[in-house]
Amino acid sequence: MANVTFPFPFPDHLITLLPEMIVAIMAMALLLIDVFITKGSKVTAYLAILTTIVAGVATVSLQSSEPLVAFYGFFVFDSFAVFSKVLIYIATAMAMILSLEFMKDEKHVGEYYVLMLFAMLGMMLMVSSNNFVTMYLGLELMALSVYVLVAFQREVLRANEAALKYFILGALSSGMLLYGVTFLYGVTGSFEFAVMGEKLTQGGGATSAAVMLGLVFLIAGLGFKVSMAPFHMWTPDAYEGAPSPITAFMSVAPKVAGFVVFMRIVVDLLPSLQPQYEAILTGMAVLTIAIGNLAAIAQRNIKRMLAYSTVGHVGFVMLGLLAGTAAGFSGILVYLSIYLVMTMGVFAVIILMRREGIQGELLDDFAGLSRVRPGYALAMGLFMFSMAGIPFLGGFWAKYVVFIAAVEAGHLYLVLFALLFSAVGAFYYLRVVKYIYFDEERVAFNFIESKPMQATVIVTAILIVAIGVFPDPLLEMCRQALGGLV
Amino acid sequence: MELHNVLDFPILSLSIFLPLAGALVIWLFVKGDDAVKWASLAVSIATFVVTLPLALVFDTTTAHMQFEEFQPWISSFNINYHLGVDGISMPFIVLTSLLTVICVISAWRCIEKRVKEYMIAFLVLETTLIGVFSALDAVLFYFFWEALLIPMYLIIGIWGGKNRVYATLKFFLYTLAGSVLMLIALLAMYFEAGKTFSLLAFMDYPFNLEWQIWIFIAFFIAFAVKVPMWPVHTWLPDAHTEAPTAGSVILAGILLKMGAYGFLRFSLPMLPDASQYFVPFMVALSLVAIVYISFVAMMQTDMKRLIAYSSIAHMGFVTLGTFMFTQAAVEGAVIGMISHGFVAAALFLCVGVMYDRLHTREIGDYGGVVNVMPVFAAVMLFFCMANVALPGASAFVGEIMVLIGTFEANPVYMDVSTKWVAIAATTSVVLSACYTLWMYKRVVMGDLVKDSVKSMKDMTAREFGFFVPLMLLTLWMGLYPVPVLDLLHVSVEHLIAQATTSKLDAAAALVQAMPVVDAAHH
Repeated sequence: MANVTFPFPFPDHLITLLPEMIVAIMAMALLLIDVFITKGSKVTAYLAILTTIVAGVATVSLQSSEPLVAFYGFFVFDSFAVFSKVLIYIATAMAMILSLEFMKDEKHVGEYYVLMLFAMLGMMLMVSSNNFVTMYLGLELMALSVYVLVAFQREVLRANEAALKYFILGALSSGMLLYGVTFLYGVTGSFEFAVMGEKLTQGGGATSAAVMLGLVFLIAGLGFKVSMAPFHMWTPDAYEGAPSPITAFMSVAPKVAGFVVFMRIVVDLLPSLQPQYEAILTGMAVLTIAIGNLAAIAQRNIKRMLAYSTVGHVGFVMLGLLAGTAAGFSGILVYLSIYLVMTMGVFAVIILMRREGIQGELLDDFAGLSRVRPGYALAMGLFMFSMAGIPFLGGFWAKYVVFIAAVEAGHLYLVLFALLFSAVGAFYYLRVVKYIYFDEERVAFNFIESKPMQATVIVTAILIVAIGVFPDPLLEMCRQALGGLV
Repeated sequence: MELHNVLDFPILSLSIFLPLAGALVIWLFVKGDDAVKWASLAVSIATFVVTLPLALVFDTTTAHMQFEEFQPWISSFNINYHLGVDGISMPFIVLTSLLTVICVISAWRCIEKRVKEYMIAFLVLETTLIGVFSALDAVLFYFFWEALLIPMYLIIGIWGGKNRVYATLKFFLYTLAGSVLMLIALLAMYFEAGKTFSLLAFMDYPFNLEWQIWIFIAFFIAFAVKVPMWPVHTWLPDAHTEAPTAGSVILAGILLKMGAYGFLRFSLPMLPDASQYFVPFMVALSLVAIVYISFVAMMQTDMKRLIAYSSIAHMGFVTLGTFMFTQAAVEGAVIGMISHGFVAAALFLCVGVMYDRLHTREIGDYGGVVNVMPVFAAVMLFFCMANVALPGASAFVGEIMVLIGTFEANPVYMDVSTKWVAIAATTSVVLSACYTLWMYKRVVMGDLVKDSVKSMKDMTAREFGFFVPLMLLTLWMGLYPVPVLDLLHVSVEHLIAQATTSKLDAAAALVQAMPVVDAAHH
């Protein structure tokens, strides 16, 4: 990437960090404010949502045509970072909206929103990192916050189990990532992606054992964070055990952050290692697509099903990464944006169906939804068909953009494989539609009546159709966002 | 004078989006089952009226696309909203809008639950079907082609019979798995032909033989599933049996034609050399469909299943005619498709009429229906005879033309004379008579022994009403097919010219002209 050094003295560097500072200060302030807020009040939640909005406004208004590199290469602020940050803000804000009713009876609900803000802050650092130090800082801030969030319902056994699994495996993967980075540092003497990449290219003997070890550990560590097989094992448990809004949050936001880091690394660090990382990623993509789509079929719990479906989607996104072209990268952004909309919509419906005792999580619980709430049923049906990649819905274009990029880059067989598995995947999405539309109601429904959440369902459903019919604006936005990267 | 250009009116867009807009209005504003029925009827009739000018002011002297519309849609990928029809696609649009009207009327009494959703599903389905037949952009085509799975999935799954969930999932996954291969072929062609999705550009681009063969295989799988051809036909009997009557009507009347239309619109003109190369293969599969599936049909005890298998056999004729590359055979194939749209649709409606009374489709549960339902018996006899392709019925025209065309065909890659193919195909005349008339005999003729059958009432005026247009059309096409043939002549001539002109020389010339580009490609 163009390494434009920031021409002003230190204080001006700070301005690029303004969104991060807003979030950090607000998160800490909220911890204090929360002490004075009566139980059951949603003020903390609203303030947290407001924070994401303010951060979003700050990010967008700071955007400049030139990529800015601040703090001597530690922090980069380009259109690419802006776009991915906006995605992260939207995901966080929507997850917070979904939490409003869901979490209102929990103790310490203030900390919940503060942790979400810290997780968001971590991701913001990740997508702006140009350097393994910043990246790792952001990654750990995100990971630690999410571990706690998964375990937030302390009285629920499976939440604890999930969080513990997630924590142990997560710590292991962070260790692997660091281990890989040390090898690469040892070879190149730098932590900065671009500098390391240059050294590797100059080195010529790029396939030394140290470099290969570094590469493998790096991919494994990052792959864990975005649920690439075979490092996806934690996903179903963590998804199932976490409070549903957190499941929604972690199925979107960390994936965005993780893939952004992946893309930066591919572009800046790994050009000289293309055959090697392509070989590794191809194998992983095949595995990810197959495992995600096949294992989802066996699930009875919709959150577990969606966990495997996420794995499947990650596999499709990896095709964009493998393409390694501008089209592939902008395809990834398109995919992630559309995936964000679908996922938030699906979880909004799931959470709205929460009942006394039953959480609206088993697939059976959806039986007969179309009789009781035709609106929710229609929305859920649209999301499911969209995830299956049927046209006139956004999900079709998500797959289309990464597949066409991969075909252009010569991965025809891989795309064929992915397409066949997307047909397999259609089976379990259709099964949800079957429960909703074909089956009779078994248990009486008891819906949460919440205007913001209902609005979320409506907005996401309309968006998924609108993107499906007129995808051009989104495609254009993603292509422009890429200007900061390639 | 080309009237449609003078009109300069987006008829195709209107016929695509009128049903959709109608569905939206009904969904949002129309309350009460009766109001919904009348509103849907109004929308479907309006759509039919809108599509009529396509046939009335159609210019039969040109093979060019008519009623063309062009709007950039997704500029990033050069995908355009490009519509247009020629003599091959136009009849199917009119057939779609006509059958939708009949479907709406046929559902009047027998659909009791969720009437509104039912009507909306049919109107949305109509939108996607007309879209398929008028799209001239590959992605737009695929868009409609796939989107129609959603309403069809719901129609079979919600209003179907006992085994509906299995049937509808099978239908969806079979066709989806087939069409993803088409998508990848289209993506590959996009890059090969210079980043365009225009079907017309694909027709002109000289693909080399290797390309053509791979793309043909991908297309073949997608289209063969839809036709359906043996051995990927097994979803059809299930889907037909479980679908509500109107669902079967649309399935047999229009959906099956999409596959054959795909061969005519994509495989033949875009991949002429591969199409020639695969003639023996296509002929073999068609003959299996005609002969073997006819025997299978004979053994069915469920009337809908029997007609479903008979559809597969008739579609065997269509695919046979398609791959003979003679004027008569291809025109016969198209006539066969249109005729099958009338006849199979009407036979499914006949079964529906009986099903509404006794709620069974088993042949064994009937017998002696003629005694209580004389008018119905006459109507059903008419369509059974049409199904047998008796002279005077539209199916006869199609079959005889396919046979004539097969006799005179001379495909390059065939070792066996097509004379033998034609003779084998002719057995269908006997076989279709066997299964159709035997069913008719067991269901309608004979003495009245069963009490349940005694209670059956003859058809109402409404039921008779939706048979009338189908009968008239069957007779008209059977006795005087000239107007329809006129529509087809020039377009089919053009198609055959495309399908018999090898692209290989041009492909070789292209390689010579741009050796560097080609090396980069492989």
